[in-house]
Amino acid sequence: MKHLTDIEFVNLVDGGEGLAADRRRHLETCESCNRHAEALRDALREAQIDRAPEPSPLFWTYFSARVSDAIRHETPVAAFSVGGWRRHPFAEWAIAASIAVVVMVAVVWRATLHAPMPGALSATVTTVSPAPQAADASNAQPAADDVEADEAWAVVRSAAEGLRWEDAHAIGISAGPGAAEGLALELTADERAELARLLDGEMKRSGA
Amino acid sequence: MDRTLDRLWAGAEPRPGWKVSVTPDAAESEAGSADLTAASDPDLVSACLAGRREAFDVIVERHQRQVYHLCYRFVGNHEEASDLAQDVFLRSYRALGGFKGTSAFATWLYRIGVNVCLNRMSAKGKTPRLGTLETVDPVDTRAERADARLLRGERAAEVRAAIAQLPNKQRATLILRVYHELPHEQIAGILGSSVGAVKANFFHALANLRKRLQPDASSPS
Repeated sequence: MKHLTDIEFVNLVDGGEGLAADRRRHLETCESCNRHAEALRDALREAQIDRAPEPSPLFWTYFSARVSDAIRHETPVAAFSVGGWRRHPFAEWAIAASIAVVVMVAVVWRATLHAPMPGALSATVTTVSPAPQAADASNAQPAADDVEADEAWAVVRSAAEGLRWEDAHAIGISAGPGAAEGLALELTADERAELARLLDGEMKRSGA
Repeated sequence: MDRTLDRLWAGAEPRPGWKVSVTPDAAESEAGSADLTAASDPDLVSACLAGRREAFDVIVERHQRQVYHLCYRFVGNHEEASDLAQDVFLRSYRALGGFKGTSAFATWLYRIGVNVCLNRMSAKGKTPRLGTLETVDPVDTRAERADARLLRGERAAEVRAAIAQLPNKQRATLILRVYHELPHEQIAGILGSSVGAVKANFFHALANLRKRLQPDASSPS
């Protein structure tokens, strides 16, 4: 007959469901299982020796006041939490749509304000576009404009500033596989050039 | 006196430019707090989300002991345990909108607590910094001899150090089962495991604990 399993040992030592009748019969005759069960009981008794010291009764009053004070400085959960937003039926779509609109407006605005960079596109564009017209990875990269001074990009950054990745991901704003490439393929050449320039500048700014 | 004032107020006519506002008196505020004290955890969460921050104070008072002791088991000293416990409550407050009520609130809170503790352990290393005996010893030591008390304290320190060396899930399972006496089903909900996995973890936790405390003895694993 098979020895007791891990779960059966726990049921035996730690209470709970107990053992089936045939397993109890095995235990009555199996010295190895009895030895193991006793070892587990010893370990349990040892663990139970360590009783955590109880803080002073005054501590609890102080602690709850301390937490209450910390909460007071938090944004009220009902007003601004993403959890609160999620209760609204269209909130998730509204957030996703507004961020998408802001990004596209920024890209189009930049493309219409500035002429596209002639000739040398960065290596980033060559990985996004399958057949860039004037791509020449061997050319030196053009000097990027100061992205910090770019108003459109500032709009995009400020819109996304308060949004944590975890919150965005929790409400469904996340890129699926191939999403970035798919979106880039739908852009015009001017828009792709502009996107590449913005990404380049952002990477340089963050030191990547 | 009160009736005199009532008659005076009843007879008073508001003058142009007066602004009349009604503020709840102390009795009314106390009544509001009393109904929160008796409210269930889900009702307190709803009240908090509706704007009544004092509802979260009741939640803290109700669960602070469990949260503190959970944190204490992971870090081993009072100062870090109280900091960590405050962190647990802050995170739970921020995530309150995400409490769906599919599990008990205590289970949800324990889940946050375990994650916060395990993250802190990962950041700082597993070995807890054991605190001094400045807090109240729960065991009545008046009848205990000094040498027995010393031995008990030393053995408890060994046990705590051995538990600190366990893998995360085994450690969390053992803490929740032995020191918080939670049923296996609730532990499964807290750790996101099945009941079978919880029992298996508990088995291995005890076996490993035995191995560390008595390395020469035979071990079940």
